[in-house]
Amino acid sequence: MSTSTPPAPTAADARAARHDLVPRRSTVRAAEKRWGLLLAAPATLHTLLWIGVPIVVAMVLSFTAYDIIHPPEFAGLENYATIFTDGLFWRSVWHNVLIAGIGIPISMLLALVFATLLNRAIPGRGVFRVMVFLPHITATVAVAMIWLWIYNPSENGLMNIVLGVIGIGPLPFLTDPDLALGAVILVTIWQGIGLKMLIYLAALQGVDGQLYEAADIDGANFVQKFRRITVPMLRPATFFILITSLIANFQTFDLIYILTEGGPANSTSVVTYRIYQTAFQEFRVGLANAQSVILLLILIVLAFLSRRIVGGTDGD
Amino acid sequence: MATDTLTPAPSRTDPPTPGRSTGMRRQKRIGASAILVFLIVSSLLMAAPFLWMALSSMRDPTELAQVPMPLIPQDLRLENYTDALARAPFATYARNSLILATAAAILNVAFGSACGYALAKLRFRLAPAVFGWMVACIMIPFYATVIPVFLMVRHMPLFGGNTILGAGGTGWIDTWWALIVPGAISPFMVFLFRQFYVTTPSELIEAARLDGVSEFGIYARIMTPLIKPGLLTVALLSFEAGWNNFLWPLLVTTSDSLRVIQVGIASFRQEASTDWHLLMAGTTMAAVPMIILFLIFQRYFVDGFAASGIK
Repeated sequence: MSTSTPPAPTAADARAARHDLVPRRSTVRAAEKRWGLLLAAPATLHTLLWIGVPIVVAMVLSFTAYDIIHPPEFAGLENYATIFTDGLFWRSVWHNVLIAGIGIPISMLLALVFATLLNRAIPGRGVFRVMVFLPHITATVAVAMIWLWIYNPSENGLMNIVLGVIGIGPLPFLTDPDLALGAVILVTIWQGIGLKMLIYLAALQGVDGQLYEAADIDGANFVQKFRRITVPMLRPATFFILITSLIANFQTFDLIYILTEGGPANSTSVVTYRIYQTAFQEFRVGLANAQSVILLLILIVLAFLSRRIVGGTDGD
Repeated sequence: MATDTLTPAPSRTDPPTPGRSTGMRRQKRIGASAILVFLIVSSLLMAAPFLWMALSSMRDPTELAQVPMPLIPQDLRLENYTDALARAPFATYARNSLILATAAAILNVAFGSACGYALAKLRFRLAPAVFGWMVACIMIPFYATVIPVFLMVRHMPLFGGNTILGAGGTGWIDTWWALIVPGAISPFMVFLFRQFYVTTPSELIEAARLDGVSEFGIYARIMTPLIKPGLLTVALLSFEAGWNNFLWPLLVTTSDSLRVIQVGIASFRQEASTDWHLLMAGTTMAAVPMIILFLIFQRYFVDGFAASGIK
């Protein structure tokens, strides 16, 4: 996310404006102010109503016991106390951490490989880019349906056909607690490469070609150029990809809903799925809101941590 | 990539000789073809699940029970699609998704561009606050607010049998209002529009003001036509998000006539359970429209995703 702010009027601008306070200019200025507010109003009011109010409501309800049928009752910190001893909730958080910790680095690396290769003049590179990017553009529900069929436990599931070639299986990928999370992670890697590649490609196009020419003159080889020019120049993009991937990872829901429903034996439950269950299956709405607040806190902490680790994008 | 490292680094001291550079050129060519082979194999791997989906959607169901199943179907059976259409109202699902996605595209373009323009080009007192708010909103995941949004929709006053206090009925649940209104304007699209307008020349605005064009006229008739590709980008991204949306339609619709395609596929899964030829036909119908749209408007999609990455 860019941290740039709108062109704020500088002190010099303000002085200049004061100096030519001809009436006409001030009416223009008034119209600008008025229309600024008017044009920004619908989107601002809409987000205040449908994002701002819900955030406040979530926080308020997180301190209540609420089952949708009876009016909410104040419950103090009870929900938060429940969460801290709720093993399944933290297990779900842990699964998100595992999916992110294993899946994101691998798909980032593969995305970087694809981006570097597809940034050159290669015949048919448009086709390659599309093929790598398609999983991102496709609805996750459809993606999950496809993989549900690929992971079919019978000998006719594609994954078992492939593994059968090297004499393994057939394996029940999605019903074996030891395999299910790995199967989910593989899908997230496959689906995640495209967008990351695209952002890397855009960033690579911003890298000054003269840097490479200079390096060529100095006799740098491919690896040296990659390490000394490409990687440092891609730092902001890497930071951006990491942040958005982490945030997206903690919002994994559709995939789990279709593929495993959090199972087997809760081995693939993730935070959003746990919140969904708490609210819409167990009807413990107060508790679910407290879980949502925790999710929000996790994301805020993640945003700050990654900024610190990668070094941030100050000044861009 | 690895093949490139085989290229010997010429040492700085000796000037490249003609013979040497042809050798290097040959190695470069070998490197290039190795890269090509790698790309062909890996991108086929990436596309394999889609090919498998398409193949399975045209497979004879008896083949699915055969062990081992022939990898390539003996003949392509298009009746799977008509069978799937007979089992579930996919046409209705697709129509609903189309309406939802189109509404999302129109609303985001109309209101997102207005706000984005104001933030990029107009100086008004609340501008920094509004911009900060939009960026904060981008960071807030839908999943953190989904329960309160659901409750707000359910308790919408005077709708669905609700009293003025929002009690007693079902509010907007199972209506088009619920499907369209809460997600109508995405803060990310506002942000994207702001980025597009920032690149337009402000001198045009000053000139138009001197010519006495109204502020709204400047926005609608002078500046917005400058970012036509941006409009298309936002429209396409919003359309895609609407078409692919799952959790929200799942929560707020109950009747078959309002079901969108992603929810339709999920419920068809319960119904057709192990009829994978039908399930894959349905999944293909849910996936292919977006794939075609992407192929046609690739450049605009990519612009949007790239702009989201590098400010």
